[in-house]
Amino acid sequence: MIPDLVPCELIDGYLDDALTADQQEELSTWIKVHPDHARTFAEAMLLHDRLRNTLAAYETPVAMHRSSTIESRRGGLGGSWLMSSVARTTAAAAVLILGLATLWFSIGTQTASAAIRELDRIIVNSMRSKDRTFEIVVEDITTERRGKRSAMPESQRPPKPPLDGAALYVRSGNQFVLVRKTQEGLPFVTGSNGQQSWAINTRGPVRVSADVHCFDHDLPGHETSVPLTNLHEGLQQLKVAYELTFSALGPEEYETGDGHEARLLIAVKKRKERGPQRVEIVYDAISGGILRMRFVQMPYGPDRLDLRLSLVSQDDLSSDFFEHTSHHVPDRKIEEEN
Amino acid sequence: MEEQYQQAIRYWTLAQPVVSAYVAAVVRDFRDRDDVLQAISVAVLEAFSSYDPARPFTAWAMGIARNQVGTYLRERKRNRLIFDAETVDLLAVAFEQIDSVQTRKIDFLKECLAKLEGRARQLCELRYQNDLKPAAIGSLLGMTPNTVAKSLQRIRDQLRQCIERYAALEGGQS
Repeated sequence: MIPDLVPCELIDGYLDDALTADQQEELSTWIKVHPDHARTFAEAMLLHDRLRNTLAAYETPVAMHRSSTIESRRGGLGGSWLMSSVARTTAAAAVLILGLATLWFSIGTQTASAAIRELDRIIVNSMRSKDRTFEIVVEDITTERRGKRSAMPESQRPPKPPLDGAALYVRSGNQFVLVRKTQEGLPFVTGSNGQQSWAINTRGPVRVSADVHCFDHDLPGHETSVPLTNLHEGLQQLKVAYELTFSALGPEEYETGDGHEARLLIAVKKRKERGPQRVEIVYDAISGGILRMRFVQMPYGPDRLDLRLSLVSQDDLSSDFFEHTSHHVPDRKIEEEN
Repeated sequence: MEEQYQQAIRYWTLAQPVVSAYVAAVVRDFRDRDDVLQAISVAVLEAFSSYDPARPFTAWAMGIARNQVGTYLRERKRNRLIFDAETVDLLAVAFEQIDSVQTRKIDFLKECLAKLEGRARQLCELRYQNDLKPAAIGSLLGMTPNTVAKSLQRIRDQLRQCIERYAALEGGQS
């Protein structure tokens, strides 16, 4: 069995990132000797990768870890008769700070890495062609220089019905339908089939444009690359411009209805980046499917909105649902926009 | 379309542990690893309509993974800590041959991890949760890097044996 020890140590050294370049070369040569060697290595990697994925998915009890590991380190420092008490204290403090800093940064990196993996799962799920219906709730509106005001139609824009209570239907490929209600309870509908965008006011002609972004300003987010109508693009932006963390949610915090665990991904905007200050995504821990999104201080013209989008349905919509013709009577006048 | 997508997700869920382990084996930077794996999962979903159900799905997905990994490695070929192309190919073949029975066995890891206690649990968490190498773990716990490395090796052996026990138990019951 002794001859097997060296390859085993090489494999374990590889798993722990502890091999020198020469040892790595040795491992590579050993793998090439026989297909069984490659298979042994592959099986070790399978366990190693699952260990990482399983443990990284748990939130680290950071404070507990930090104190316990530092206590252990402190125990190893005492008793040097050559050092004065001041020097010992200084050295101990330096080692503690160094250890703390090392652990802090490594924990931060690991947690961020795990959060990025979670976001990747959400992104992959969002790329499905599945239709989703969200209800929009405007929790708060802050207008710069003029203080807070209640959830009202957007100021300094052509008067439109409020977003609060609107229904947003999305499908991959930039397709969306946004239905808002006027004060009279009439629908004001905007949307896009991915090739042209359109707006149906309660009166007047239906406006249709070959520019798919023509009516984007009806929803916040397009100014800062976090468009609500294109989940995939918005989620990619979170990877670039936001610091990410995630945690598990108990059933008392979010009930998924199917017994699945829910998780919360929190994205906090980095300095100098544009977009909402904070984005919170509640998602299904198994599928990565979005259940609820919350955007805090989302820029919208002169306003900053706190918005919540709650998943209402994932039922398939009809194939022509994102065509304007599905939302008005056939003889309605159509006006092409330039 | 939706049914096809659901099927792609089902297949991918089964193949993903093997593909992920293959990527982890040859892409050492864990941020890059996540990016490569994401690119593979997107490519798998996009190409699913061309998948021939007569072929094993994992082998088909591994073909896509090999292409993505190949692109990644070509950009970093001067790094001596990356396996050469021949080794990467041999590993891809080895991963393709891992069957579903083996990947299902690994599912027992959760039960086995729950049995880890004390120092073993702490070492495991520092290595896998906090991504610390043996030298860093050793300096935090007052152990030599070699002792940490040996301990981690033992812990992985214990977990492997525990998984085998669970698998044998399940095999005996079914």
